[in-house]
Parts: sequence; structure tokens; C-alpha cells
Amino acid sequence: MKPRPLAFIAIVALVAAACGSSSGTQGPKAVKIGVDLPLSGGELPNGDPTIKGVELAIDQNPVAGYTVTINKQDDAVNGIHNPNQGATNIQTLIGDSSVFAVVGPFNSNVAQAEIPKSNSAGLIQCSPANTNPGLTKGTTGADLRKSNPTKIAYVRVATTDDIQGQAGADIAYTVAGAKSAYVVDDTETYGKGLADVFATEFAKLGGTVVGHDGVGANQQSDFTALLTAAKAKNPAFVYFGGVTATGGGLLRKQMVDVGMGSIPFGGGDGISDGSAATASSFLNVAGPQGDVNSYMTVAAIHDIPNAAKFASDYKAKYGTEPGAYSASGYACAQIYLQALAKVGSDREAVRNYVTTTANVFPTVLGNVSFDANGDTTQHIISYYKYDDATKDWKYFEQKDFTSGVTTTAAP
Amino acid sequence: MSPRRSISSAIGNSPVGRGSGRLRAALRPATSSAGRYFGKHQSLSVLVGMAVATAILPLVVLIPPFSGFGGQNDFVDGFASAGVFVLLAVGLNVVVGLAGLLDLGYAAFFAIGAYTYAYGASPFSGLDVPFWPMLLVGAAVAAMAGLLLGAPTLRLRGDYLAIVTLGFGEIVPVVFLNADKYTNGTNGISALYQPALPAIGDFGFINPWPYYITVAAIIAVAMMLLYRLEDSRLGRAWMAVREDELAAASMGINTVTTKLLAFAIGASTSGLAGVFYASKLGLVSPSQFGFTISFTVLAMVVLGGMGNIWGVAIGAFVVYEIQSQGLKQLNNFVASSGIPPIHIGFVNVDLSAVNFLDYQFLLYGLALVGMMLLRPEGLFPSRRRKQELHDVDDAGASNQELVEA
Amino acid sequence: MDAGILTQQAFNALTIGAMYALIALGYTMVYGIIELINFAHGDVFMVGSFVTLWLLSTFGVQGAINDPPRLTIMLIVMFAFTMTVMGLVGVVIERFAYRPLRNAPRLAPLITAIGVSFILQNIIQVTFSNSPVNVPRVIEPQAGATVQLPQFAVANFQVTASPVTFAYSHIFIIVLAVSLMVALQLFVGRTRLGRAMRSTAIDREAAQLMGVDINTTIALTFFIGSALAGAAGVAWALNYGTTKFDIGFQAGLKSFTAAVLGGIGNTTGAALGGFLIAFIEVFSSQLGYSRWSEAIVFSILILVLVFRPTGLLGQRLAERA
Repeated sequence: MKPRPLAFIAIVALVAAACGSSSGTQGPKAVKIGVDLPLSGGELPNGDPTIKGVELAIDQNPVAGYTVTINKQDDAVNGIHNPNQGATNIQTLIGDSSVFAVVGPFNSNVAQAEIPKSNSAGLIQCSPANTNPGLTKGTTGADLRKSNPTKIAYVRVATTDDIQGQAGADIAYTVAGAKSAYVVDDTETYGKGLADVFATEFAKLGGTVVGHDGVGANQQSDFTALLTAAKAKNPAFVYFGGVTATGGGLLRKQMVDVGMGSIPFGGGDGISDGSAATASSFLNVAGPQGDVNSYMTVAAIHDIPNAAKFASDYKAKYGTEPGAYSASGYACAQIYLQALAKVGSDREAVRNYVTTTANVFPTVLGNVSFDANGDTTQHIISYYKYDDATKDWKYFEQKDFTSGVTTTAAP
Repeated sequence: MSPRRSISSAIGNSPVGRGSGRLRAALRPATSSAGRYFGKHQSLSVLVGMAVATAILPLVVLIPPFSGFGGQNDFVDGFASAGVFVLLAVGLNVVVGLAGLLDLGYAAFFAIGAYTYAYGASPFSGLDVPFWPMLLVGAAVAAMAGLLLGAPTLRLRGDYLAIVTLGFGEIVPVVFLNADKYTNGTNGISALYQPALPAIGDFGFINPWPYYITVAAIIAVAMMLLYRLEDSRLGRAWMAVREDELAAASMGINTVTTKLLAFAIGASTSGLAGVFYASKLGLVSPSQFGFTISFTVLAMVVLGGMGNIWGVAIGAFVVYEIQSQGLKQLNNFVASSGIPPIHIGFVNVDLSAVNFLDYQFLLYGLALVGMMLLRPEGLFPSRRRKQELHDVDDAGASNQELVEA
Repeated sequence: MDAGILTQQAFNALTIGAMYALIALGYTMVYGIIELINFAHGDVFMVGSFVTLWLLSTFGVQGAINDPPRLTIMLIVMFAFTMTVMGLVGVVIERFAYRPLRNAPRLAPLITAIGVSFILQNIIQVTFSNSPVNVPRVIEPQAGATVQLPQFAVANFQVTASPVTFAYSHIFIIVLAVSLMVALQLFVGRTRLGRAMRSTAIDREAAQLMGVDINTTIALTFFIGSALAGAAGVAWALNYGTTKFDIGFQAGLKSFTAAVLGGIGNTTGAALGGFLIAFIEVFSSQLGYSRWSEAIVFSILILVLVFRPTGLLGQRLAERA
């Protein structure tokens, strides 16, 4: 370019600096928690209950000396989560100096675009929903944070898919007693990852995977052909890697239609979205005949001390049941508010405090601490089965998958 | 060589056949004096225009409604992303606007360019080819893909070609998604290397300025080349094919080669955009390159004014900013503007109570429909196309008179 | 080989194909008459399924109706109402989004079509939901006739046959779709208005000179096309018992492909294309390649067009650029 960009940048920067430096210092300090979630279109049902969890946490946990508000960013474009929009949003949040920490993102590929930026800027992110192992673990995890390899700036409160897939296989083989399984995934990061781990682990336990197929975004309303083919293979269990929105409920509903209703069905926390009375939940879409014999895992401990209080507070404030990730959003905000109270609103101090492996944060999800990769150290998976009496998921067991050893945790 | 002479040598000296007034209009050189001036100095006008735009845009942050929406770096980062779409749009303009081929799967070439960069510069492949040569490689690979798709299908006419491109646009992401051994499947390829320059070093993740300047430079170069092409023998052949393929063929234009070149050149621009996009985002994954991208870029081209390179570039910028910034900032805008609630009879409108994020689709849709209805030829119609359209209008009007008589 | 499963899959494909074909007819009719790829058409179909939902909830229908006379009346009301409403919606869309652009560059109405598609989706999102919504299935979904095909062996090749279930709701959808297609053929081929439509499609100006009211004819085309999409919406709700604001995109994409595969502008071709695409999809799933089915559909489409450049039943026009 002909005009000297650097000189020009310097001028612009000076002008900008001159314009934006006049803020008083009385009263409580105004700070913000940045939130980056999909907040429009078909993904609003993911983002909206999650941000409400954050709002509720801020309401209920005031920090002396600070007024905390939210800087809200929507990473959906045309109604679909978009990594480029996520990157723009994290840039915006980095640019807003009052933001001391960020809750989000929701989707793994958005995280892939954001982690290098937050890592480079040293702004802590806490994802309420990402469960893809590659975001933190192994070489891919290390590659994403290569700007500051030792300064973790991305943590997450949900345990990873590799552990949940293992739990799914355990349900199919041990709980349901199935020796053969048919696996369906939605070809997306969460669903495919979960389904692949399930298939591997189920085989390890001694079961046979009689088929594994996937259904892409433009096919997720009609499963009859796939199920007709699956039925011929006589599986004793059907496992779905995906979420309700990508066909979980419909798959189960159509299993009933093609005469596979008696075969047990299982999925991960992507189908954990409320009772049969909740509109658009898995249990609601699958219908009464589909709900029977459905299993589901959640990557969290079940017996959280104040889970019921959280649910009732949430309902009192918003008039609806909490979403699948409301509590996670609440927990992320709780961790940040505790850090704020402890070390103030300096980004690096907050980042350091949150990621120090020795620190334990009491949250609505139980006690949370993070390992050297930023993953939660809590590897307990809770098992649920549909209960016809309450028309809702019913907890029956939880297992600890720490370091590959499966032990039944005391409930 | 004067423009007039080069036209006649491009189309031969045979008389233009009956019924091809539009073709004649297409081949008529631009006549206004400003047109003639910039016709000769388009490279200069692109350079000056891009330099001025690049310099002025970051100052938008100082103007009141915008200053509340974020810091200067946010704007510059958004503009750098908008640059990707400007590149895509000027590339698609060659195919749709100049050569008149409807391409509904343009995102496929964007994906191919982006994945090319991911293979050339990421831990996934183990290669670390610098960004600058990768720009050319990405453009070349995308152009090859354009040739591969175009060679068997370009003899299809009109909308049959459109559906083939649409199909190609659907197939490419499905392949990237499901051939997971080679593409890492749905996870995509992440942690791509950033561009670097000797003076600046690695561009990094945080500072948007190097990306902004880089994309502006790429756009400037691409636009200069495209202006030259438009005014070349090939450019006139494109327009001749667009207006009347049979007449163009009968005047000695090799329509197949002409169309293939339009496809390849359009694809290569998309490939450039893909390489830049991948390097800036550091990530490629199949879901980023769906149908909505193809559509959005097409809307940008049509709204900007098909055939007019500057118009298309501005159209792309405007649509991108509306979509990714404007609609998302409406809540902030309304909150800060202090528009009072309106009570007219029993109608109560309190804009500040509306969550505009819920209405993004609606507003975007209304904007598309409204802009098209107000300016059916686009915001900045191409001079040549305008002439052609008026020829058609004249013909229509005379028919109308016949009917009424 | 299991003949039972293949028959079952063929029956599945016929059901899905019937819906694609109904939607494809609207694409092909509109394209035939004004050469517009009406990208909002898939969303008209989607809105149709929500109109059915609204109707059923207004009548307080909760689930299957087992009383045959009541069921018949309900079905007639559902189809008549939804098809009329969607037909009118189609006419309104044409009037405000396409007619003003009739003499504009060809791509201008394509962009407004995209805009209309966004508007329809957002209206449904705001008035109903962003998530899948249940629609009561008035025909008992599991009711059907189960048939045992004969098993036999040819030399060493054993053909087994597991029982095939022909669900009544599926039979109803197939019969209904075929009847509507036949009715459409008769209408276009045998009536004065049908002739006006055909002549307008061939040469708008000449038709106008012969006294055909172009605006009415085009509006009528939109009415019929959108009503058929509405019928597909009802069929969808009957079949799946669920709908969502974005189903129009995927169904529209496939139906448009069907229209082109059959030869765009040709109504028989559109129906044929709809069934063909459904068969390709279903048998990709049967072979365990669901995840590739979209790529397979489009690859076959491209191959067909390379060898038959105007689709399977398209006219071989010398010039229609």
C-alpha cells in the first residue's frame, strides 16, 4: 500500500486515545463478564438458557466494590454458530478493557478459532459446553495455545467426550446388558466424537458394533431408511451421538414407527434437556413410547447440594426450567466472581487465579478445579433413565472415570 | 491499441446479427468522459480508491453511533473479515456479472483455497510453507478445481449450470466432512500458522492491523487485475457470451474457453480469499463453507451491481457489515439512542424492550427485499449493463404500445 | 438378500419422494412461467406444516383420531385449509416481492426470494419456536398392513423376506400426492386457465397479445405451486409429527434438485425427479452410507446433466440461456 500504514496507525491511535480517557473513579468499579454464545436462530435454545445462568449468578453473588454487568456477543450468523464471528467477538471482548473474563463459547469449532486469541491476549475463557477432547488435550490442544503455552486461558466445566462415550458404552453393556449396538451420529464435532468413543469402548467391553452411520445437517428429519437398514441387523441397543436439535428425539420417535421401540436407546448430555413436558426436549419430541427404555448420561455429579435451589431460583426469575447448560453458565460466572473478590479485576491475576491447579471453586456443579490443560478434574458421570411415573429422567447411578479406572462413586 | 479497435478484433468484422441489440450494447465502449478517463487509469483509481478507503474506514469509530459499538481494533478486525467477502464478491462478479454464468456453489472454491492453506501450513500436515507463496498455490488449486468442474459442465445452459455448481458446492463440504482420514473430518484443521513479514514478524492473533492492510493490498491487486481483464479481449468476450452466446460463437469467440476462463479466474479469486481467511482465523472446518456463504456472496454481487467491480466490492462490504455487525449492534444502538416508547391509541411500541437479536433474519430479509425493490440493478449498476437494460426496456415499451394500440 | 427389506425401503422412498415431488412441482411451475428459481418455495412448504399445527391446536386435536368419519373430515379440512392459506401466501409473495421485478435483471428476484425465505423463517421462529415442535399425527402412525412376501431360492441364491409393513399414513400420503399430480396434469392440459399458463410459459408477450391476462396467470401459477407445497407441509406433519422452522431449506434444496433432475419446467419430470432422489437417498442409507447420501445425490445429478443437459424429461431447447 502506498500510504504509510504505520504512521497512519499511529495518528489514528492517538486520536482514539485522546477521545476515550475520561472516567471517574468514585463508587464501585464497573467491570464486565464477556459472554460469547449463539444467541439467534435455531441455536438460541442453546445460548439463551446459558446466558441466563450467567445473569442469575451475577444477580445472586454480588462482589463488594464492583458492579458486574455482561458484554453479550452473538456468534451465530444466519442462525448458525460461526467460528469467524466468534473470532470477531473475542476480539471485541479483548478490546473492551472492562471485560475481565469471558464465558463461552458453546461450540467446539468456535472454540478452535477463539482459543489462540484469548491465549495470546491472556483473557480467561470458561466454556460451559465444549466437550471435545482436542481443544485442550494432546498435541492439538498444545498447538492451539502455542502463543503462551504455559498460560492456560481456556478452561471448561464439563468433562470431555472421551469420558462420556466410555460411560455410554458402560450403560449399554453393563446396565442394559446389550451385546450388540447400532451407532448413529449427527456428523458434528460433539456427536461424531461421542459416537466414535462409544463404538471403541463398547467393543473393548466385549460388545459388537453391528453398524455405525451418520446423518448430515440436510438429512436430520428422516431416519426411517437408516432405521430400516439397522433393524435388519438386530441390534440390542441404539446409541446416538448428537443433540436433540440434530435429530436425537426424532430418531427415537421414528424407531417406534419402524417397530424398534422396544430396543433400548442411549445418548449423551446432548439429549438432557428437560422432562417430557418441556417443549422441544428430547423426551417431548420422542413421545411417550419412545421415552421408555431411553438412557442418558450427564457429565457432572448428580447430588449437587443446591441443585434444587438453583432450579427453583432460575424458574422464579425466568419462568422456565433451566436449560442443559444453565448450571454450567452459572458455575463459570461463579468461578469468575470468586476470583474477582479474591484478586480484583486485573485480567492476568484472574486468569492466573482460575487456572492455578490447587485452587478449588465451590459452584453449583460442586467443587471445581482445573488440571494443567484447563480441564475440570471432576470426571464423574451421572446415569439417568426415563421414568414413566414422573415423565422425566431419573438418576440411578454415578461413576468416576478418573484416570481410566471406573469406580462406582458413592451417591 | 484503441478500445474500439480491440473490440473489432475481438469479435471480428462480421456484421452483428439481427436481434442482438443487447450484444451490441455490451460491446459498445463506455462513452462518458469520466468513464474514458478512469478507463485508461483504472489501476490508478483502484490504488487511490483502496488507499483512501483503507485509511478512512478505521476512523468510523470516531463517529457517534459507531463509537459506542467497540474499540478501533474491533472495527479494524471486522473490516479485515469483510475484506474476505469483498474478495469473494469481486471474484464471483467475474463469473456472474461479466460472463453471466450463475454460480450457486462458489463457497466450494473458497473451501478449497482455505483447505489448501491448512495443508500447506499447519501441524496437521507438518508443512510450514509461508503465507505469501501459499496465496498463489491456493489460487492455483482453486482455479484447477474450477477447470475440473467447468470442463464437463459448461456446455449446460442457464440454470442447469447453476444447479451443477450448487451440487458441487454441496459435495465439497460433505467430502471435507466425511473423508476424515485426510481432512480431520468434522473437527477440521486448527492451529494454522499465521502469516509473517520480515519487518513485522508473525502477524499473531490479536493485532488486526497487519491482516487489515494485507487484505486491502490483496483486494487492490485483484481489482486491478480484474479491471484489466474486463477491458481486455477476454473481458469483452465474456460480455458477448453473457448477452448472446450463439451470436458470440458465430462471431468467432470460443465460448467454451471463454466460459472456462471465467470460471477459473473467479475460482482463483475465491481461492485467494480462502487462503487469507484460513490464515486469519487459524482454522478450517467443513461447516464454515456451506450454502449460506455462496448465497451471501451472490446477494452481495447482485446488490452491489453486477458487472461493476467497485460496486460489487462496496456491496459486499455493506452486506457483510449489516450482517455481522449492524444487526448484532441494534440492541446497543436502540438502548443508547434513547428512542422513547411510542403510544398511538392502543398501539404501544417500546423499541428498547425488543430483543433485536431475535429479528435478525427478518431485518436482513427485509433489507434484501427492500434494496432489490428500490434498486433492481443494484446499488451501483454497471454502466454497460444499464445501457443494455435500457435497450431491453425500449423493446418492452414498444411492445406495450402495440398491445394498447 | 432380503426382499422384504428392499420392499420396505422402496416403500419408504415412495413416501419421501411423494413429498419431494409435491414441492418440486411448485419450483418447476414457477420456473416454467417466469424463469425464477423461487428459493422461498421451500419455506412456503415449511410454513404449511406450521399452519397445520395451528389448525390442529385450534381444534384441540391431541393425537390420532380413530373414528374414520371424523378422521376423513379432519384430513379434508387440514388439506383444504392449509392449501388455501399457502396458495394465498404464495400469491402475496409474488405480488410484493417478484412482480415489481419482472423487468429487472434476472438475478434480482432471486435475491428477493432469499430475503423472503429469511423473513418467513423469522416469522415462524418468533410466533412458534426456534426448536422442533410436535404436531399431533391424526393418522395412527403405527397402524398399517403387514405383508409376508414369499421366500424362494434361485439355484444357491437364497431370497429371504422379512415382513413388510405398509403404514396407512404412508399409503395415504402416496395416494394423495399422486392424485394431486394427476389433477394438476389435467388442469394444465385440459382447462382454459391451464392453457393460459402453458402459453404464458412458452411466450409471455405472444400470450398477452392473444388476450391472456399475464398477471392473473402468473398469480394463479404461484397459487397452485404454493398450495401444493402446503399439501406437502401437511403430509410432512402427518408423517413425522414434528416440524421446525428450518426444514424448508433442506426439503427445498432437494426438491429443487428433483425439479432440475427431471427437467425444469416439466411437471412430470419434477415428480419423477422427486421419487428418484428419494430412492437414491434411501438406498444410500440401506447400504450404510447415510453420511454420504447428499454427495451421492448431487454427483448423480451432475452426471445426469453431463449426459442429458436438460434433465431427464426436459425439452431439448436450442436456446434458453
